[in-house]
Amino acid sequence: MSRNAHPHAMAPSKPGRTRTAPPQLPDRFPFGGRYLAYTLFDLTGILYLLLGLLVLCAVWSLGSGEASWNAVLERHRNIFYLGFHAIALAGLIFVGIRFFGFFPKAQPPRVGPLKPPPKGAILVGLYALWIGVTVCLSIVLAGGVFQ
Amino acid sequence: MKHPLLKLEPLIWLLFGQGILLGTILLTPWVLVVGLGVPLGIVPAEALSYERAIALASHIVGRLILLGLIVLPLWKGVHHMRHSFIDFGGAERDALVAPLLYLLATIGSVLALVAVVRI
Repeated sequence: MSRNAHPHAMAPSKPGRTRTAPPQLPDRFPFGGRYLAYTLFDLTGILYLLLGLLVLCAVWSLGSGEASWNAVLERHRNIFYLGFHAIALAGLIFVGIRFFGFFPKAQPPRVGPLKPPPKGAILVGLYALWIGVTVCLSIVLAGGVFQ
Repeated sequence: MKHPLLKLEPLIWLLFGQGILLGTILLTPWVLVVGLGVPLGIVPAEALSYERAIALASHIVGRLILLGLIVLPLWKGVHHMRHSFIDFGGAERDALVAPLLYLLATIGSVLALVAVVRI
């Protein structure tokens, strides 16, 4: 005749030593295998911070007068600034491609009564937005419109 | 110090997420034209003459875009730097580093607001 199991029937008679290992970094961290992209993605934070500060300096200079603004443009011709912006452009493209790739995977199965759009459609929409804004703003900044 | 940061976590993540999404979208043309195009002579320098730059930047849309160009990348930057710091073994000092990084982004955001208002 069976009976209900006691909830603590399998418990050890006395508390044992914990076997939880201390947290450890994976062997391949930070630049091995799949950790490379993860680490680089995090490190783009430095690029974004510097870009934000550079834009802040440029906008502040614009508000300070013509001489200050022209000094900013002159400074951007420096090889270090050019090198930084080239690296920053590569970083922006890397972040965009990696982050947009997360979007379809991060969608919930349902949003209220609606299903999210197909993954391909989300990706196409994001890239269209990125390329569209880049082309439009580049044309505006380069003097193609609003002369 | 952890508790206030945990309370602010939704706001920080909002700014961080938009820093990646909108920051990347807005910074790309800025870097292409202001960072590379004009200095390399691919784009004529008159496109960013003082008069034209002021005209573009002083429009309400221009001000909002510039504000986003500064504030969102700052928050994306500091939040990712915080997590890099933790990943590279700095978890024990996170209570000190995180507020400092977010303070930097806050000061930058306030200065950005002042900068776009004074144009």
